[in-house]
Amino acid sequence: MTTVLHPLVKRFLDGELRLADLPPELHAEARAAERLLGAVDRAPVTLPAALEARVMAEVRQRVIAPSARRWWHRLAEPWEIRLRLRPWILGPALAAAAVLVLILARSQPPVPPVAVAAAPESVYVRFVLYAPGAHRVSVAGTFNQWDATTAPLAPAGAAGVWATTVALPVGQHQYAFLVDGRRWVNDPAAPMVDDGFGRRNSVVAVTAGAAGARAL
Amino acid sequence: MRLLAALGVLLAPLGVSAAAAQRPVARQLAGRVPAGVVVAVTALADSAAARGLPVDPLVEKAIEGGAKGASPERIVVAVQTVLTRLGRAQVALQAATPGVPPADAVEAGAFALSAGLQDANVQEVARACGPQCSAAEALRVAGTLTALGVPPAEVVELVRQTLRAGGKERDLLALPGRVEAELAGGSTPAQAAAGLARAAAARAAAPGQSGAPPHGRPPPRHP
Repeated sequence: MTTVLHPLVKRFLDGELRLADLPPELHAEARAAERLLGAVDRAPVTLPAALEARVMAEVRQRVIAPSARRWWHRLAEPWEIRLRLRPWILGPALAAAAVLVLILARSQPPVPPVAVAAAPESVYVRFVLYAPGAHRVSVAGTFNQWDATTAPLAPAGAAGVWATTVALPVGQHQYAFLVDGRRWVNDPAAPMVDDGFGRRNSVVAVTAGAAGARAL
Repeated sequence: MRLLAALGVLLAPLGVSAAAAQRPVARQLAGRVPAGVVVAVTALADSAAARGLPVDPLVEKAIEGGAKGASPERIVVAVQTVLTRLGRAQVALQAATPGVPPADAVEAGAFALSAGLQDANVQEVARACGPQCSAAEALRVAGTLTALGVPPAEVVELVRQTLRAGGKERDLLALPGRVEAELAGGSTPAQAAAGLARAAAARAAAPGQSGAPPHGRPPPRHP
């Protein structure tokens, strides 16, 4: 239950007014309020020792250590740095910086100029060679770094016919067949260009047209 | 340039290859070609890069030479020839179109030159192509047509008429197959190209016709 006191009674209780200053109709309320106030224990509140210890321990845990606070201030607050340089020191300082940049640049792994990743689009191309009497046939070209071991041909049905299917990235490729590991043979069904080594390379152009990828 | 290449071959035994081996081109070639070739090709690659030319074709040619068992001198000469062609293609493309030619166009131009086109032909094909098509694709097609035996003049004319008739890139790419189809029918390469060029010119003269022939045989697949 809450009792709302008249403002003049509140001022009486605060000592600002005397009882005689109050209107007669408020005297009874003022006296009652004075009695209630007198009944209140005005002694200072003392907390149990255990409770105080527990509260203080909690407070100490949450307080930032002074050293940490100092560091935090150093990081958060703006610094004023004054740099006084003699002009002659600029030359050696710049040279040292340049050497540092060079050392850092050289320590980076160099990026090879040739893209070795497979092209996003590739087309399966079937290579066929008629090589009667051959024991081993493979195809090598710009698409496999001329490594004849990566694309061997297999006998394909009819005697002397060798074939394989290779996924080629879109683009133009030059190639040749290697028969029995020692004889380079052109593809008679494909256009040819001079290889610069006294022989000729066959040419295949793999394109990705609107209706899908295809080989020329 | 030849002197540079020869110098590379000569300097290899003196330990210069150790420095070259640290570089990307040298790393790609290591173990695939003799050490002297690595030094020479690295020098040629540096020269190419300094001129804004693609380096990959040089490395590929060196690797090809190593795989085919060519002598070191022959490999260096072959790589040097590729570099020369790349430079010629770059000049021809610069004369034909504004700006710096892209690396793939330069590479395709070098291929066209290796197939038998002349510098002027490369320039004409690039000019006929203009901004409407990829110069690299047009030059690859031109080179392939040349490799099929079509004379350079007929190659240029066929590409030009195909583009004039409104032909798109796919129409260009179909040209080698269409020429081969004509060859299978008994035409010579020159006759096949000339006939296809005349047909394209007729389509260009007739308004409303697309660049592709109305009833073309499907191109054969290679290889």
